[in-house]
Amino acid sequence: MSVLRRVAHEVRSVELGSATRYDQHHLVVGRGQVEALFIDPALAGVCPQLASPGEPVRIITPLDVVEPRSKGHGGGMFPGWLAPINRKRGPDTHILRGAAVLAAGYLPRNQEGLIDMSGPAAPLSPFSRTHNIVIEFEPAEGAALLEAEQAVRRGLLRLAVHLADAAVATTPDAVEELAPPHRPGPPTGGLPRVGVITNLQTQGAFKDVFVYGRSMAGSLPTLFDPAEIEDGAVVAGQYGHPALRNPTYLHQNHPVIAELRARDGQDLHFAGVVLCPEPVEQAGKEHVSQHAAWLCQAAGFDAVIVTKEGAGNADNDLGMKVDALETAGLTAVALYAEMSGSDGTGPPLVAGPRHGAVVSTGNYDQRIKLPAVDRALGGERLRIIDAEASAAIEVPVAMILAALSPLGAGRLTCRPDLPPNSSLEGLKGIA
Amino acid sequence: MRIVHYVNQFYAGLGGEDAASLGPRVLDGPVGPGRLLQQLLGDEHPIVATVVCGDDHAASDPTVSTQLYEMVRAAGGELLIAGPAFGSGRYGLVCARLAATAQAAGLPALATMHPDNPGIGDAGAAPVVASGAVAKDMRPTLVRVAAAVAKLATGATLTAADGLVAGVARIGRLVEDRAAKRAVELVLRRLGGDRESTEVPVGGFDAVVPAAPVDKVASASVALVTEGAVVPLGNPDRLESARATRWLRYPIDGVDALVSGTWESVAGGFATTLANADPNRLLPLDAARALERDGAIGHLHGEFLTTVGNGTPVATAKRFGVEWAAELRKAGVQAAILTAT
Repeated sequence: MSVLRRVAHEVRSVELGSATRYDQHHLVVGRGQVEALFIDPALAGVCPQLASPGEPVRIITPLDVVEPRSKGHGGGMFPGWLAPINRKRGPDTHILRGAAVLAAGYLPRNQEGLIDMSGPAAPLSPFSRTHNIVIEFEPAEGAALLEAEQAVRRGLLRLAVHLADAAVATTPDAVEELAPPHRPGPPTGGLPRVGVITNLQTQGAFKDVFVYGRSMAGSLPTLFDPAEIEDGAVVAGQYGHPALRNPTYLHQNHPVIAELRARDGQDLHFAGVVLCPEPVEQAGKEHVSQHAAWLCQAAGFDAVIVTKEGAGNADNDLGMKVDALETAGLTAVALYAEMSGSDGTGPPLVAGPRHGAVVSTGNYDQRIKLPAVDRALGGERLRIIDAEASAAIEVPVAMILAALSPLGAGRLTCRPDLPPNSSLEGLKGIA
Repeated sequence: MRIVHYVNQFYAGLGGEDAASLGPRVLDGPVGPGRLLQQLLGDEHPIVATVVCGDDHAASDPTVSTQLYEMVRAAGGELLIAGPAFGSGRYGLVCARLAATAQAAGLPALATMHPDNPGIGDAGAAPVVASGAVAKDMRPTLVRVAAAVAKLATGATLTAADGLVAGVARIGRLVEDRAAKRAVELVLRRLGGDRESTEVPVGGFDAVVPAAPVDKVASASVALVTEGAVVPLGNPDRLESARATRWLRYPIDGVDALVSGTWESVAGGFATTLANADPNRLLPLDAARALERDGAIGHLHGEFLTTVGNGTPVATAKRFGVEWAAELRKAGVQAAILTAT
């Protein structure tokens, strides 16, 4: 497995202009160039918009979010989409850190969510902290919406590379080496070998995640080179439960992989990554859960952190996998969002493990009041709560994009030892 | 304090499940478990009346609790005691709703049931004192209730020491470390020998014991119910696509099958294209009618019940289950087919 370098260029401000360029932490996004990247028979057109941290702006019905990244002149980013898989794997990945490209608008099965760039919801979404290039789109007349979705996804990936290309020749702010996982076998000096299993949602159109451009549905769990995830081998096309989504951006910056790397050689050895589908039928769930446990055992893992995407169905996958791992003698921890009702007094998990341990990523049902904003992107109305997109609203945390990140990107948890009336607003002091 | 006691038809001695559809009524003085409770309370706190209702009647219609409350008020109660309902879902739901209604209207109330009773979330501002899980725990439960009443009579408020079920609220908050980092730390703690640490309790899930097989299916009344959000096209009653707060009912008398373009699913958790092309695959009305015609089942119930399971909290789903059971039993249904998505 290769050693990768992240060459980070920080974006601190962004504007729309006539031609894309990056200089001194300032990103200019060429409007015409963006439009050209989205030319597709399934799209009538797109409109790029901007939303930066702290602005009184709300993005509704967000779809996927992608971090701008480029491999430079050799190409090779997003294998299976924009590059062949058997590409030359260059070591350097140029990243526009602090920027994100995202699409927003109506699609079937896009459960309505939102991102507030300021106010009480801002500490909850990772995408309130990025300078966002928001792509509003209009499907072509008569185009199948699935084709429009694919066109938008392809366009977002192209745009992500296009923007990062602009920074390749500039002086980076940081160069970070990403060590590969340790191979099984060599002595670890007593350090435990800890890996991660990441379940990818595989529920068909609009609820699928792609590995090398293909749905993972029907696959067995597989050991996966994290360098490939770094290069964008995992791309999201999954628009269920907004707070429980794993947009492409969070696969590119996989929080559990990052935390395992951060401790690598200190109190653990980063053992590797397993990707696994979330089958929709019971037999399939049993199949992949057992296989994943044996795969981790065969790969020499001592302990595994297991992540999911979605709710209900996905909760069963998580619980079964943790139980299979623990039964096989490995130590397992799962990341779950709780669904304990708006007052937090109901049972916290719909379906959980019988063994192992659980980290909480917050309560799906907890409500939060959001003030009105000056400007809304992505649509006119939030249909699920029948409100103007820019209005003052009260919503469950479930609606805030990636607020309960199953990949562990967020800082929410739930505690039984707080007064029942504690509001999120009152607790944002450490944001 | 003058006490009015609420019990269900069974504890009032009016009958078992056969009498669960009985409407509300008031009986003089203590009845059933109220007699033991009266002994424990002593003369200072007389049970002046007992309000009774059949579980199916009361649990299937939330407005019945207002009616029951008015009867409690009319009987001159200064304190309402509802239960003990132990683990019984319908009874517990009614006790909780009635206590909540009374407390909200300014009449002190106390409900008693097992902490796992699905009704417990409906008690509103009324205190709930823990009972045992089953009726054989009657005496220790009533001893605890009597002590709680004596304490309430002094103007004090109940605490966990009195058996008060404090709804343990798990409140979301922001902490210093992101969840991924906490997961790594938790896994290292577990590897270090701490097998107890977890942010959410693990295990303890309900196992539903299957009901006994239906006696004489060929003459049974069978209902179709679903969490697949099947509604008339256009969703006129605005059922949620996720996180249901309610359930709906639609008549199917005289309807042979669910015609595409007349019915649809508004569920947000799965692709509805195939379901909407043939809604019978979500709610199998066509197959059920065939079984009815062939005499394999006695009669198909005249309406179906529907909600959405997608993202609906367990506590809400449990309450829907209790309400559906009461509703169907009241309608004389012996079996229900629940289709899930």
